Amino acid sequence: MIATNRLTYLAILISLVASGCASNVKVEYPTIPDPLIDKLPMDIALRIPDEFYDFSHEENVLGKETWTIQLGSANAMFFEQLFGYMFDNVVVLSATDDALDYEFDALIEPHIEGFEFSVPNQSKTDAFAVWIRYRMQIFDSAGNRASTWTVSAYGKSQKEGLGGSKSLRRAAVLAMRDAAALILLQMDKATKIGDLANGPLQVAEIASATSAQDEIFDEDDNIGIFAIGGIDDNGE
Amino acid sequence: MANNVVILSARRILAALLAIALGGCITARVEDAREHATGINEGESIVVMAKSYHQGNETEADYIRCVENTLARGSKGLRIIPNQQFVDSLFPWFEPRTAPANTKGLVQLMERPGVAEAVKKMGVRYIVWLDGETEKVASGGSLSCAAGPGGGGCFGFAWWQNDADYVASVWDLEGYESAGTVTADYTGTSFLPAIVIPIPLIARTQSRACKGLATQLKAFIIGDTAS
Repeated sequence: MIATNRLTYLAILISLVASGCASNVKVEYPTIPDPLIDKLPMDIALRIPDEFYDFSHEENVLGKETWTIQLGSANAMFFEQLFGYMFDNVVVLSATDDALDYEFDALIEPHIEGFEFSVPNQSKTDAFAVWIRYRMQIFDSAGNRASTWTVSAYGKSQKEGLGGSKSLRRAAVLAMRDAAALILLQMDKATKIGDLANGPLQVAEIASATSAQDEIFDEDDNIGIFAIGGIDDNGE
Repeated sequence: MANNVVILSARRILAALLAIALGGCITARVEDAREHATGINEGESIVVMAKSYHQGNETEADYIRCVENTLARGSKGLRIIPNQQFVDSLFPWFEPRTAPANTKGLVQLMERPGVAEAVKKMGVRYIVWLDGETEKVASGGSLSCAAGPGGGGCFGFAWWQNDADYVASVWDLEGYESAGTVTADYTGTSFLPAIVIPIPLIARTQSRACKGLATQLKAFIIGDTAS
């Protein structure tokens, strides 16, 4: 009996020590406020990849601790809400749905291309920071790829409290909100998705989109399309 | 009974003197630079925002809360709209990436459909942009502690210096112009001498910088009576 108790205490002690070196942060559904923009009059099919329903990322701070952030289905709900605000009609497709069974002006397929975060021990500041890079692929109603757009978003939150879990969660939500702002204000300009309301791409446009596609993949970062600290009206 | 009251009062005075003596040293400078006349009418409010972290700003969330609370307090307390409520109501135009960097951008923004109406609905007359942070700029000394079966204790002396440097830029939404700036520069040195028991003499630099800036900011905004 005494031996069993000792083992229990030892197990508790080991789990306490182990949990001191690992932090697990779960991000709940990030709510986006109703935006002050006009909706685009389009029917959109949104294909949500499987990774958006169960996403997690782990960072090891060398010799110190391990941080895991679980986004779960936050990304799926985020894009459903975002495009619901942005377009007149949105139908959500799963990765296995056949798009040909649906009628739409454009199909959008977002992916997570990169996810990183830093904790105060790494950055030597008091802040948690999260970077998310989404790649948005846009297809016309005939299935031709119309454009690809990379969205790089950033969120930062200062450490509050002892653990920092709350701050990391807030930094992740701020990064998603940053992506939402960028998509709402720049997606039509960057991808010309609005033109697809007039019908699928013509043959010449398909060739042009493919060529532009190659250029985009050659670029390291196209975040410069949107000026930080104000509204970039060029081209409007 | 009378003796007890005297002893109680003496203890309170002693505690107050001790609290004053145990505070660290703080030097302060608060200035304002006015560009236009200001004033605030009944029903008008203020929103306090941090400048964008996209531009490297590190203003602490608790500092912003402190400035908001200090502006709202007192007989001439100002009506404050919580910044999250303001940012949510105007989404996506006041996000760290999209917020106007200057009053020229503000004029453009107000021409967008629904933006000026949303601002008017909340009654926001001024936006105060806070920039700056509190950081440790120097430290020194040494302090060691030891404990044994017979007890423990500390011996030594440590000190550190914090610098709180903040700028508040005031934008008047009536004429979409910059009304001016208020700056606060506080430097505080804290000490920690220890002879068996450590005695912390803490300079509350950030807290003092908050109260100093907010008091001057309140005077700056209500200084000229609006017509």
